[in-house]
Amino acid sequence: MHEWPLLIFTVLIPASVGAILFLWFTHGNIAKSNGDTIKIMKIPLLVIAILSIIGLIGSFFHLGYPLNALNAIRGFGRSWMSNEIVATGAFIALACLTAGLTIVQKKINPILMLITGLVGVIDIYCMATAYAVTRVNGWNHLNTYFVFYGTAFSLGPILAASLLAPSLKGEAIQKVIKWAFAFSIIGIAVQLIGSAMFNAYIPEIQTISGETAANKMVPYSGMIGVRWVIEIAGLLLLAYLSLNTKKNMKYAFIYAALIFFVLAEGVSRYVFYVLGS
Amino acid sequence: MVQLGFFINNEYCNGCKACVIACKDKNDLEVGVNFRRVYENSEGDYVERDEAFIQNIQTFFTSISCNHCENPACVKGCPTGAMHKREEDGVVLVDQNKCVGCKYCIWNCPYGGPQYNEKIGKMTKCDFCIDLIDKGENPACVGACPMRALDYGPIDELRKKYGNVRDIKGLPSSSITEPNIVINANKYAK
Repeated sequence: MHEWPLLIFTVLIPASVGAILFLWFTHGNIAKSNGDTIKIMKIPLLVIAILSIIGLIGSFFHLGYPLNALNAIRGFGRSWMSNEIVATGAFIALACLTAGLTIVQKKINPILMLITGLVGVIDIYCMATAYAVTRVNGWNHLNTYFVFYGTAFSLGPILAASLLAPSLKGEAIQKVIKWAFAFSIIGIAVQLIGSAMFNAYIPEIQTISGETAANKMVPYSGMIGVRWVIEIAGLLLLAYLSLNTKKNMKYAFIYAALIFFVLAEGVSRYVFYVLGS
Repeated sequence: MVQLGFFINNEYCNGCKACVIACKDKNDLEVGVNFRRVYENSEGDYVERDEAFIQNIQTFFTSISCNHCENPACVKGCPTGAMHKREEDGVVLVDQNKCVGCKYCIWNCPYGGPQYNEKIGKMTKCDFCIDLIDKGENPACVGACPMRALDYGPIDELRKKYGNVRDIKGLPSSSITEPNIVINANKYAK
């Protein structure tokens, strides 16, 4: 597997999309229970914008000749890879604009946050389609979409919650964690549905090498198991935090859950790129 | 517009790979970079019958380069427009000034046509030896084949001469990209 740059790119971008949508979803609640929303949202928005930029920079390392990188948008409309790059650029620009305006104007703009998130949702569609339309055995299946959207839903909310945690207290953080837990269940469910459908599918061989997804996956079955154990452990941690009625929230547990989800999604993507290697 | 294509006689091909070597030599290709490749398709085994071993082995070889397809998936997928199909003869080429080395064409081509060059960080591929054709010579692979198993020319003429087969055992369905090849299928390849 040589696709580390793409792994970083396709984990960070969906995670940023999920995180920004989660911030939009929870900002009303936060505004009600805490006074200074700007102070609370500023750092998370900024970090999400930075993470998405890191994702994009990561993708440059995939290119053999990055000096020609601008050419990669020439195929917009024809090539799904170009569509993905344009949509990613739009999402990052909007994420930076949202963070920038929050800092400069000292005002939260929920509509801009929502638009950024929705452009991100379109971006994830382009990202998944760029793989789904190739000849790579195992990529041309609905599961590819479920894998990418699953990252947005499972990793995004816990990422946003971890960024909000230091500036939230008591009930407010409890609420945020509860919502993060609920969305993570959706994220993991989406991936499980995709995975279950994938198991009952024999992809047509469309390459002369004749390699099948099933054959490539054989050495990685243990790794896939470990990935699910880590992901479920992260979910259990979130469940524990959500059900915790004590006032003192264990912040270390929130960050531990984040690390678990990052690892699980990273391994999931690693296995995904094994198919194309 | 004339569309150039290859004829592959895999009834004659004995898998000597002279075509691969001639192509590597002509294009000065590194180890692992092969504009033309020969795929071996073998089946069968030695089976014990009473006091003897009998074999039912079937083997045939298919020499494949870029098939300069009618609907090249590499061209459609290329984000930069570097991968393009030439108007005058339908040859699929890479514009090195545009290529970004993203390798997306590798994931799109059913035949393993695009070959990545690590040294320059860009994609390379069979260019049908258009320079040799301009000089009135054969493409290197066609000229090198000791079995006369390869031929080239306008695809319409090749089809008139050799027929219309391009779907054989071991090759991806021609419906994906409409490759400009004609094959005389080996008896085991049908």
